[in-house]
Amino acid sequence: MECNGCEFRPELYYDAEFQIWVRIEEQGELAVGMTDISQSIAGKIMHVRVRRPGTARPAGKPVATIESAKWAGPVPNLFDCTIASANIEVLEHPALLNHQPYAAWIARVAPAQTVEQALVGLVTGDAAWAGYQARCVRDSITCKRLPA
Amino acid sequence: MSDDRHYLDQDEKTVVIVMTSGPSQRHRCATPFYMAAIMASMDADVKLFFTMEGVKLCQKGVPEQLTAMDGGKTIVEFMRDAKAAGVKFYMCRPAMPGYEMEVDDVIAEVDELSSGGELADLILSSDKVLFF
Repeated sequence: MECNGCEFRPELYYDAEFQIWVRIEEQGELAVGMTDISQSIAGKIMHVRVRRPGTARPAGKPVATIESAKWAGPVPNLFDCTIASANIEVLEHPALLNHQPYAAWIARVAPAQTVEQALVGLVTGDAAWAGYQARCVRDSITCKRLPA
Repeated sequence: MSDDRHYLDQDEKTVVIVMTSGPSQRHRCATPFYMAAIMASMDADVKLFFTMEGVKLCQKGVPEQLTAMDGGKTIVEFMRDAKAAGVKFYMCRPAMPGYEMEVDDVIAEVDELSSGGELADLILSSDKVLFF
């Protein structure tokens, strides 16, 4: 599924602006990554830094920072959690976020509450697809996926 | 885990960026917002105060047209990135007459019109102060 060339994965969970995706992992953890929309806006990503594993992150405090040549900003966090691990491959090769935004997770986090409670404020499935398309159209976002 | 440059450990800090540069030095007008966005993303409470020629960046029609380099992103886009990261914008009200600006001329991204005394308060109470 895609809109203006930006890939969408219906099985993932998203924030309201479709900046990040969240995927359920084993052992009650959640993986967090950037959407195709976000990587298209950022351009070639040059640096990724993640909060040190073991650090508690309240809702609203970013999980990581992203820098490209023309954009800098947070990887938002929508629920209380603790950083479980960072994707070393992405930290060493940040442009993976441009090449494979849905395979290249940034961090895995352990939510303070249950996974189900953590995901309450996120959208998924058909509702997410409608919102994703609306964001692409509203902000005239077209995919700028970098070739691998 | 061995490479510390990949990990963030900063405590919460307060930062004030005083933006005095304006359209006459356009090459100085993007980086402060980029840095503000990074610091806000690293848990800093970042306030950006426009004064002197910096207030021109808050005038409707100016940041939308201005770029730091030919063909680059507009300054208002850098400003919006910083706002999205949590940066608050303050503008020096006493500087407005010198640039023939009225309140209605100010872009919506500005959170507050402030006095020189309020800038002094921010400077004296912040952990870090940067001038651009």
